[in-house]
Amino acid sequence: MRRRKGNLTAAALTIALTTAALTACGGSTGKETAQTTSASESTTAKAEETTEAKGAESAGKYYAADATAKDIVEDAAKKGKVGNWGLGNEYEVQALLSKYGQETGFLSQAFDMDGFDDDSILLASAMTYNELGLVKNSYQGGYGYGDSVKYIDMNDEGVAMLEDNIFTTKEFAKANPNTVKAFVRASMKGWEYACANPEEAAKIVFEAGSSVSSDHQAYMAEEVKKLVETDTKGNKVVDLGKLDDEALQQTLDLAKKYIKLNDSAAAEKLQTLTLDDFRDASYWTDAMSDATLGAPEKTDVSIQLKWLPQAQFMGYYVAAAKGYYKDAGLNVTITPGGGDIGETTAVNSGQVDFGVTWDANLIAANAGGMNLVAVSQVYQRSGLVLVYKVNK
Amino acid sequence: MKKKRYLKWEKQSLTTVLYPVIFGILLLILWQTQLLHKMIGADTFALPLPGRILNIILDNGPAIRKNVTATVIVAAGGLFFGSVFGYLLGIIATVFPKWGAGGLSIASAISAVPIIAIAPILNNLTKDISDDANIRSMFAKTIVVTITCTVAMSINAYRGLNELKPYSLDLMKSYAAGKLTVFLKLRIPNSVPYIFVALRVSVPASIISALVSEYFAEFIIGVGRQIRENIVLAQYATAWAYIVVACAIGIIMYGILLCAEGALLRGRR
Amino acid sequence: MIRMKKLLSSKYMVTLVWVIGLIIIWEIGATIIEGTKRSPENVLPHLHQILASVFTTNKVNGTQTAFQIVLSNAGITLLRAGIGFVIGAGLGFVLALVMNLFLPVEKILFPYLMMIQMIPILGMAPIVLAITKDINKSRIIIAAILTFYPVATNTLAGFKSVEKEKHELMYSLAASKFEIYRKLLIPSSLPYFFTGLKISAPMAITAAILVDTLQGGAGLGTALSQSLKHATTIYIFWQIVFLSAMIGILSFYLMVLLEQAISPYKRKKK
Repeated sequence: MRRRKGNLTAAALTIALTTAALTACGGSTGKETAQTTSASESTTAKAEETTEAKGAESAGKYYAADATAKDIVEDAAKKGKVGNWGLGNEYEVQALLSKYGQETGFLSQAFDMDGFDDDSILLASAMTYNELGLVKNSYQGGYGYGDSVKYIDMNDEGVAMLEDNIFTTKEFAKANPNTVKAFVRASMKGWEYACANPEEAAKIVFEAGSSVSSDHQAYMAEEVKKLVETDTKGNKVVDLGKLDDEALQQTLDLAKKYIKLNDSAAAEKLQTLTLDDFRDASYWTDAMSDATLGAPEKTDVSIQLKWLPQAQFMGYYVAAAKGYYKDAGLNVTITPGGGDIGETTAVNSGQVDFGVTWDANLIAANAGGMNLVAVSQVYQRSGLVLVYKVNK
Repeated sequence: MKKKRYLKWEKQSLTTVLYPVIFGILLLILWQTQLLHKMIGADTFALPLPGRILNIILDNGPAIRKNVTATVIVAAGGLFFGSVFGYLLGIIATVFPKWGAGGLSIASAISAVPIIAIAPILNNLTKDISDDANIRSMFAKTIVVTITCTVAMSINAYRGLNELKPYSLDLMKSYAAGKLTVFLKLRIPNSVPYIFVALRVSVPASIISALVSEYFAEFIIGVGRQIRENIVLAQYATAWAYIVVACAIGIIMYGILLCAEGALLRGRR
Repeated sequence: MIRMKKLLSSKYMVTLVWVIGLIIIWEIGATIIEGTKRSPENVLPHLHQILASVFTTNKVNGTQTAFQIVLSNAGITLLRAGIGFVIGAGLGFVLALVMNLFLPVEKILFPYLMMIQMIPILGMAPIVLAITKDINKSRIIIAAILTFYPVATNTLAGFKSVEKEKHELMYSLAASKFEIYRKLLIPSSLPYFFTGLKISAPMAITAAILVDTLQGGAGLGTALSQSLKHATTIYIFWQIVFLSAMIGILSFYLMVLLEQAISPYKRKKK
């Protein structure tokens, strides 16, 4: 009996101590952060309810269905509740914030939409083919918001930067031109087939070992198709994977403005970059012509994706499954991404031959001293949107 | 005789400092002249030259200071709370030996869970603490560090409070000392060296876990986050500048610990 | 009856009670979270939900269930952790030996060994990758780097723990340096060496999971980060959390067993 009493006391003590330690912890972190906020003012706009911000949220917590992008961006930025994943995905959001005269700080968004769901983020970044689907739809993993959310499209706002491309190192392209052309030709064939049959493409990706649920995979394939077949202005793209110089120039201009590099040498180099420093259309032009290509110099090649295996990369999976790579004399390994060793590093170190990345990342990498070149531009418009909830 | 020994000691400690410093300078020369790169087959891209790294550190003083402050607050705060909490756990385990020891073995089992698994969970758990993302991120990060430091300290504190010199407990008993007296006069002084054993483990661990917890934090700040951002963006020179800064924080904190240990334990050995 | 009582107050019982206590706390937490959060399984699911996800036959990708994914990835990670651990432990022992043989080497290397531990693996990875050009080799090398330090420091402490008198005895017997090491230093440093192994074995597991997250491919860390990024069911993450803790503990006891097998002279205390 006495022992039991001892146990109880021990348990009570532990609990008391835990709470004491935790509250002490909370109190002091609060105090400590007070010192740092002065240094980080640029990123945390105080959540003060200003009268002019009221316009956007006249009735209810969220935004009116007819609120303009300007009102929404201004309000969310003032509250410090704009979210993005960071790590090189943030430039379009920063461009949009600047467009409406706001500070370019944002919250680090996790790779789920819980922050958006619990209102710690009011204006959340989402890819049309991935997070937007999870927010709207109610299949497994979805949040089921349906039409009670709306979004701001980067293409409409004129701050679109191009995303998924195919790139390699300049040395590799120079030494293995036929391999590059054969790879681009077979990949584009894969993309063409995938866009014509998104449902089947989604299935192929799922079979290839993707862990994304098959419902979401099918949604993603439909959305990706739109990005591949429409350009930033909304026109239909006939030549899949072409290097659209106008859109690339816009990407470069925004990159120069918003990519902040601490390394002064790299920052200077970034400002001197031109289109010719990071894209070469000749391989794509030859690949898409009817001419017969020479024998590939290197037949065993690999491609590193930008993210986890999903329909975002369906073209490559289709090309592999349908034997297009084999027909081109290539033996292709597809390596999924998603780790902290970026695809630019993997390609630059020679560990893989090709990679899929966003052009802004390619530009930053070249400014940092890499020698990479985009040989095809698969996504012709930006897939990034900022999603927000609408008042009922 | 005495003087000679003193001189010898002097020579010993001189080489202790001198040898690593000479080696370090040699390494830096090899590094700067790129001979090191030839030896290990790396390029100046993945392993940037020291001169360039230094330049970046000098160029970005205010930004680096801001990030260092955030990291040091998290690491030191977590270290402090973790150590205090761990020591209290050690005391509780000593007071209730049988149940406490079992609890400690559970605690060491929890420490086998990688930090990368703990950090995101805590991030989600602390969402409701504050409306300010900076504060709630700080809170989540500090808890991660606290957890890592608690385990090392509790196990060592328990050992320190219980691994007494033979007969000392009997001696105390022969003086008819009460349990409290034994605690204050024997157990707690006996545990002081063990506290430092624990701190030697938890000081580097607190920094590493502060860096890792920053990867996942909601509010973007800290040396660890900067390392990750720059690695992902392939800005290796900048990433290395922050790595050097992280190492410096570690060395300075470890140095402070060694000084404190020397001051507190002097005359004990 | 007495046996029963003995069993109740045994060491295992204590652990069991603690485990049950933790489960209760977990469940209370999970219930609170369930009531307040929209997607509680991201924060703290009920234990039975995790258990159910282990035994379910629902396929989460083309061919495998969640648990099958975890298991197949665990094999890969364990293999890497094992290789990294063996290399790291071997390297640690050799380094300790060299440092004990040549004092200047110890003085030069020791501070740097500590500094290497402070470099985040994210910083190390690109360099190792640039040298090896292969992500899997890099993973093993980094796991080895992260595990050798406890072995090296503990073994070195073991060499230094040998009393002067024993040294002098060996000298008086005209033993060669090799003999001193073989007969005196190495045997007496073994317990310390094993202490190092016991610390670094769970570390090797953690390190192997950590280096998995560097890049896609296969491995527990990859599956863990995929799950955290919500590319697949979050229960994969929870399964890995529990599995990694279990493997970490098992690896510790594996070292204890190994120690008992290798050093029979140390059969003290019952």
